[in-house]
Amino acid sequence: MTAMPLQVEPDLLATLEPLGRPGRRWIALLLAVCAAALIAWVYQLRFGLEVTAMRNYVSWGVYMTNFVFFIGISHAGTLISAILRVTDAGWRRPITRMAEAITVFALLVGASMVMIDMGRPDRLFNVIIHGRMQSPILWDLVSVTTYLTGSFLYLYVAMIPDMPILAKAARARGRSPRLVRLYEILSLGYRESPEHRRRLGRALGAMAVIIIPVAISVHTVVSWVFGMTLRPGWHSTIFGPYFVIGAIFSGTAAIITAMALFRRGYHLEAYLLPDHFRKLAKLLLALSLLYGYFTLSEYLTTWYGGMETDRRLLELLAGQTGFGASFWLWALFGLGVPIALLLFPGRRSLTSIVTASVLINIGMWWKRYLIVVPTLETPFISPGAADITPSYFPSLVEITITAGAFAAFLLLFTLFSRIFPILSIWETEEDALEAHATAAPTAPVPESRILPASLAVIVAIGLGALLPLASARAQTSKPAVTVGLKRTMEDKQEMLVATVMADGKPVTGATVLFSVQRSFGTLMLGEDQTLDDGTAAVAFPAGMPSGVKGDPMFRAVVRAPDAVAGTEVTMTFPGAMAVRPWTAEAPAALWSSRPPLAIVATIVTLLLIVWSTYGFVVAQLVELSHLTRKG
Amino acid sequence: MQRRQFLKTGLVAAGGAALGTGAAEALPIADAGPAPTATLALTPDGDLVVASAPRGKTIPTSEAVRRGVPGRRWVMVIDLAACDGCGKCSQACTKSHFIPADREYLRVFKMQDSSETSPYWFPRPCFHCDNPPCTRVCPVGATFKRQDGIVLIDNERCIGCRFCMAACPYSVRVFNWGRPSNAPEAEARGYSPEWGYPRRVGTAEKCDFCADMAKDGHLPHCVAKCPMEAMWFGDENEDAVTSSKGTTMRLSKLLRDRAGFRFMEELGTKPRVYYLPPDKRHSAAPGEPGAVHAETTQHEGGPR
Repeated sequence: MTAMPLQVEPDLLATLEPLGRPGRRWIALLLAVCAAALIAWVYQLRFGLEVTAMRNYVSWGVYMTNFVFFIGISHAGTLISAILRVTDAGWRRPITRMAEAITVFALLVGASMVMIDMGRPDRLFNVIIHGRMQSPILWDLVSVTTYLTGSFLYLYVAMIPDMPILAKAARARGRSPRLVRLYEILSLGYRESPEHRRRLGRALGAMAVIIIPVAISVHTVVSWVFGMTLRPGWHSTIFGPYFVIGAIFSGTAAIITAMALFRRGYHLEAYLLPDHFRKLAKLLLALSLLYGYFTLSEYLTTWYGGMETDRRLLELLAGQTGFGASFWLWALFGLGVPIALLLFPGRRSLTSIVTASVLINIGMWWKRYLIVVPTLETPFISPGAADITPSYFPSLVEITITAGAFAAFLLLFTLFSRIFPILSIWETEEDALEAHATAAPTAPVPESRILPASLAVIVAIGLGALLPLASARAQTSKPAVTVGLKRTMEDKQEMLVATVMADGKPVTGATVLFSVQRSFGTLMLGEDQTLDDGTAAVAFPAGMPSGVKGDPMFRAVVRAPDAVAGTEVTMTFPGAMAVRPWTAEAPAALWSSRPPLAIVATIVTLLLIVWSTYGFVVAQLVELSHLTRKG
Repeated sequence: MQRRQFLKTGLVAAGGAALGTGAAEALPIADAGPAPTATLALTPDGDLVVASAPRGKTIPTSEAVRRGVPGRRWVMVIDLAACDGCGKCSQACTKSHFIPADREYLRVFKMQDSSETSPYWFPRPCFHCDNPPCTRVCPVGATFKRQDGIVLIDNERCIGCRFCMAACPYSVRVFNWGRPSNAPEAEARGYSPEWGYPRRVGTAEKCDFCADMAKDGHLPHCVAKCPMEAMWFGDENEDAVTSSKGTTMRLSKLLRDRAGFRFMEELGTKPRVYYLPPDKRHSAAPGEPGAVHAETTQHEGGPR
């Protein structure tokens, strides 16, 4: 690493000095955009999602795109900071703070996009009251919450050693006492001592390790919101890793872009060296090649297979019409040009690296859009078969809110950098002094801090009263004529026998129609002529399913001759096939109200591991603050 | 409106559970006849009574709505050979559910599988799948599957995430994007997932198999209004389906004789709607001796 100036502290503290006119204008601009987005959101709350361009076919749009995009760039923090910290890469030090801050702010903005996308944000708490563990949205909720908590904790733990420095400097410069107090509280009484260092090192090491799987899980379950559906273009086995790689890819590009902005804005040329950019550029190159590889795998196999709906989707996505031009523009400027800019070490100038990063950021937003929208325009039953052409172009409200999302992200970032130095003072000093931290991160020891996941438990449904028994009631239209109905065995076969009598004497040669009553009509069983004893018969439909009791209502009607026609009898006989009713409890299927045990067990186990690690980290911080009080 | 009213047996109010047999309708035997006016109902003592008294509005309890009618497995059969694409089914549905102009619960598609094959009409209600992808993904259990097979939506619980719309492979679900203007009649009846109105802004909705009608022994509006007898509705547990003209057929025989199938079986969703292919079968099905085509239905209008 190139030697760094030794006056790290004053240089980095200088970034907290009051802003000049350009800085104030920048904040005013961001505030204005955020205010416009807020108005747009209130408007949307007032009139419903009708004010967006989303409709019944394209039911997700730019809000969902923003959600995936921001969750994606949140991976910057994890990758740069955690992976480099775990592997003890020294050059990470001036970058970590910025990366961790990106994670927190991108997550906040990304999560709020989901709420803006909801038709009923007022019912948000239903997700907790009625939450179903089988739904990928619940997985999202749980993992994003876990990730956000972890990222906050991680960002904060790495900031603790800076707090005493900040408090001292703020006091010296006569800043507001409240600010000084804030720094003091956040410092937890930290001071440079081996014991303090050891505690901090443990906390930081544990966080750096656990945050990596959490981050991977987050973007995996985000992809599963799409991957778990049966839609062409979404139902893909590689969607998890594809999204994770895409996230780290766009996150790395985001951090390079942020570095370039802060380098210029705060004159940090002495700390954010071209070498930092070049090292990240190598990583970015590797990731862009990986992303290209995943994209090829995803679409080439789909295209080669050539299934009908896939073909229609690819036609829309990359064909001559529809999204085709923009897809290939993305492939060229979002992937091809950045690779070309980053490929040759000799040509990796700062300008080309930053250009590549900006192109990747824009391209990845568009790529997310191309994942969300074209699939929704290509359902299995072609809407064209009902003369409908689904189309989508974001409305003014959606565009304003999207602009507001970006503005809010930049604003949070800017305000953060007004209060806390955007480069970690203590880590950068370490770098400058080439002094390696003595305390090596130790493996996390899970504490018995159990945070049980609250699970939706389903009310048992009791089976209702049994079906009332249908009783028979003979109806006679002509008093002289009667029809009797019975069930007998004839030649080892069960028969339904009707007996037609006129004035007490059997009627011969009358046509009798046999039927069985069903819910919505009468099902014919057959017809027969009466013999000289006045009986007509059809086979008893023993194998016919007839409800849970198997006792259908039969009917016999005399059709001919005219003298006796119209006489009928209805009667209920047991003996038909009884169907087994569904039990009151639904099975523990994916669709049922009860979640399958395996899903619950997996989620609870994972949460226990992660949250007990958080508990361990918090315990270290508590210990740390006690140390000072004792001393 | 008569049809929508309930039987005053007291059973419906008691949770709808006891009205198991769905009150047999006194349909005239055999061929077409006028629609019945009087309705037979079962009292708790098991007596058949003629129910023609005015019936008030009764909203079933949410527990009864979520459970469904015990012992029933509602099923629909759509005869693609009989459908002439007139759209009366969809119109009847729209009218009775007060559906706004921007959506349809039942949509009639004009399908053509390839350029060489004949086009045919394809009415598509909700399939009320036995393995419903929409219900799997709902984060709050607002959409649920009942014992009687019906998949319903509780618009008072739905959070409007639209995951169910993305998950349904058949594009069945529609959304209340704006604030709905509900008809006075819809408001007067009060809300139940069994009929889905009055509508709520920001929630999903779809075909409900006319759950309230089936419970009372009435055919769904689409089936009742089909002039071609292309739609049939019934109870799988009774192995019977009935058409608008009151013709009742054995479900198993109909599916066997006419080579019934379910749309996109390969998706594994197990729909509760069967289709009869748009042709007349004259050859034996595999494993059956000789021609089996019986006088099942009279097809006047073939596919157009």
